[in-house]
Amino acid sequence: MSVLNRTAAVIVTFNRSAKLMKVLDALQAQTLRPDIILVVDNASTDDTAALVAARGTEDPSIRHLRLPKNLGGAGGFHAGMKAAYQMGAQYFWISDDDAYPEPGAIAALHDALTGFQTQHGWRPSFACSRVDWIDGTLCEMNCPRPVWDWARFVRADAPWVLVDSCSFVSVMIPRWAITEHGLPIAEYFIWFDDAEYTRRIARSYPGLFVPESVVIHDTPDNRGVNFGLIDAKSLWKFRYGARNEASWRRRQGGLLSVLAYAYGVRGQMKRAGIPGRFRRDIYLALIKGYGFRPEIERVTSE
Amino acid sequence: MSRPASSKPADPAMAAHVLACVDEARGIYELLFPTQRLQFVLSLGSDPLWARPEVIEGAYVPRPQDLGADYLGTVIRPGSRPDAPEVTVRLAIPRPPLPSELKQSDAPWRPIRRLGALFGASPLAYEGLRHQAEMLRKRREERRQTKVALPLGDGSDLIDRPAAPATQHRPAILIGMHWLEMGGAEKLGFDTVTWALAAGLRVFVVASVPAIQRLADRLPDHPDVAFIRLDRYLPHKLWPRYVAQLALTENIRAVHIHHCTPLYESLPMLRMHLPWLQAIDSTHIVEYANGGYPRISGVWSNFLDLQHVISRDLVDYLQGGFHTPPGQVVLGRMRDRDAGVASLPPLRFQPGQTTLHVSFVGRLYYQKRPVVVVEILRALAGWAQKNGVAFTATMVGDGPFDGTITRLLRRYGLTDTVAQMPGQADIPALLGRSDILLLPSNNEGLALVCYEAVAQGCIPISTRVGSQGELLPEDLLVPLAPRASVKATVAAVDRMWRDADVLARHKAGLQEAWTRLSADPTAEEILMPVYRRIAQGDAA
Repeated sequence: MSVLNRTAAVIVTFNRSAKLMKVLDALQAQTLRPDIILVVDNASTDDTAALVAARGTEDPSIRHLRLPKNLGGAGGFHAGMKAAYQMGAQYFWISDDDAYPEPGAIAALHDALTGFQTQHGWRPSFACSRVDWIDGTLCEMNCPRPVWDWARFVRADAPWVLVDSCSFVSVMIPRWAITEHGLPIAEYFIWFDDAEYTRRIARSYPGLFVPESVVIHDTPDNRGVNFGLIDAKSLWKFRYGARNEASWRRRQGGLLSVLAYAYGVRGQMKRAGIPGRFRRDIYLALIKGYGFRPEIERVTSE
Repeated sequence: MSRPASSKPADPAMAAHVLACVDEARGIYELLFPTQRLQFVLSLGSDPLWARPEVIEGAYVPRPQDLGADYLGTVIRPGSRPDAPEVTVRLAIPRPPLPSELKQSDAPWRPIRRLGALFGASPLAYEGLRHQAEMLRKRREERRQTKVALPLGDGSDLIDRPAAPATQHRPAILIGMHWLEMGGAEKLGFDTVTWALAAGLRVFVVASVPAIQRLADRLPDHPDVAFIRLDRYLPHKLWPRYVAQLALTENIRAVHIHHCTPLYESLPMLRMHLPWLQAIDSTHIVEYANGGYPRISGVWSNFLDLQHVISRDLVDYLQGGFHTPPGQVVLGRMRDRDAGVASLPPLRFQPGQTTLHVSFVGRLYYQKRPVVVVEILRALAGWAQKNGVAFTATMVGDGPFDGTITRLLRRYGLTDTVAQMPGQADIPALLGRSDILLLPSNNEGLALVCYEAVAQGCIPISTRVGSQGELLPEDLLVPLAPRASVKATVAAVDRMWRDADVLARHKAGLQEAWTRLSADPTAEEILMPVYRRIAQGDAA
């Protein structure tokens, strides 16, 4: 519920200029366009900079924030949200460079955030879209986590489910949540930054899953996040994921929570027959995560 | 058709809220600065209670932070002439409160971090430590405090005194409250609004503490009653100027102060520029930390015309400590004349009875010591089990201790025995079926709920604080130290249950005190004649 609706889209990209251009096309086609489209470029080495600059001459809402080096998705979202906050946005639409919002996606998220507060008095901490894969099925890695009373406010005309965690693929965050809870943790680099952040802001009030807002996530394959899926190519990401979640669990629940998490990870790897050398890497990442205590950076508006 | 998000129309409910807030604030500042050129720099606030007002008199050069992300706009009210001085008012419009804030705006209570383990191990030990710290602070403050009334000169006849201007308005009164929330002092504040209205006065109400003001809708719905939200929009330092301006504009003939600090601070302004205006205050409890409002009242004694108190203790406090003239301090009990001795029902508790229902009624703040209440209920449950008495209890009230109390009751296995009810519960009905009322507060004046309890046939047991001794016999007063409170309360119940003579003595003591208090004037009897005289244009 706001009288100020300035909205910034924050898109983090790295060497995927073709997909990024499709995202910018999709944003152009929105029924409710962001006032600012902030492309956070993780020091891409392809033609991203040139293409974004060219787009920027046609569309003054496009801004190019080029980072000096690749800070990963987490560093990119951190830098982008911080910059958009300074630009005065009241709402932040956060997404990847390979997620194409349907024309009404942003308007639906906006309407849900404002409409929910008008109807029920509570301020949702975020609103996230339904994320489909390119074949129209649910994108496995972008399924939000409902809270126990998720159905409390679900109505036929407003089927918004209460959730406490989602990915940074088409999620809209109001300014107050960033003011109160700070920015995503840049040091996570990749994986779990979105889950940590949305769980953090959801402590004020859960977010909303808004099924009428749809984005298409153009990933190479449609796989969930499960330690039974580790292979040589994806091991590095799983290491970050294990470290980051262990760090978060230590902060939230202490050693017991980390041990419970490690036990679950072990079970997933064991059942899938993950080779010992990969498992060892993941255990080392878990141990590293226990001692990994990054600061949460706050924002100031003045 | 595509449009940028910033051009989306404002949410109608939020737009109405913002515009209503702007109107409220404009009303205040346009009265305070009637001729100046007023410039309101408005932004959206993140606080549901307070607009963080900043007032700058003189030329103002906007700063970048005036135009930040939450900037709403600037409203100009032209001055009365082109060269009128300029006043800038920066306001952050409060956001609508959330449902959780409407229920409870204070954060849930938590034990001090370093003593969390102690509270976990023994809530009573934690309470004991806190009590000792409080008593230490009290002793220190007593040494430090000075009890001196500020002098007030009469002025000289050589210099003309200001006189009340002629006016078309009917006389009005300004009633200043702490806030419009639950509480005994607030109950009296609401009563005085009704009495002043009945006396023929127009009534302006203000509150000093920014709050949801949940009980604002209990003010009489009458065109002669106006609640002005100074608590939201006006810094305390500007209250004296506003009050003087309001008094001149609206023919305010008296201010009545109920625990409203900025109105006390307005008294020098009123005495200097509006000496015809009558100043009255009402006080209830001497606080440990700094004497609280009775001490403030004592310090301002010379600036006040009438100091209304609710207990003899406070009469002695003001007359003894501040040498206030006897006629200026008046006792007016907080009770209805209708609830007199004739209607006092028999007290319900009987020796050897097989059931026992105990109640607690009070806001769940530390002052009422809800943790000690739970410990007493736990001890009474144990006592009842030993003696074959079916024990039940009810705790009524809301506050930051809500969650703590629920957890403690669960921990002690009392959830089936003790019912928790919100503050809006039907208190007379509850007291009408209770045998005992517990009031182990760390501080009270003369608690209204004790009157209500006796009037409903329920025996109160209270800590020996404030003026509770004026109503309760000695044996129904228990020590303040938490562990001793628990033991003495159980012992008092046990004695009454076992010994018919003891019980009869307590009942007779309560009856006698009730009769004695009934002979004292009530607050209404004291204040109504004063209001009537003011309404007729006479001095109080």
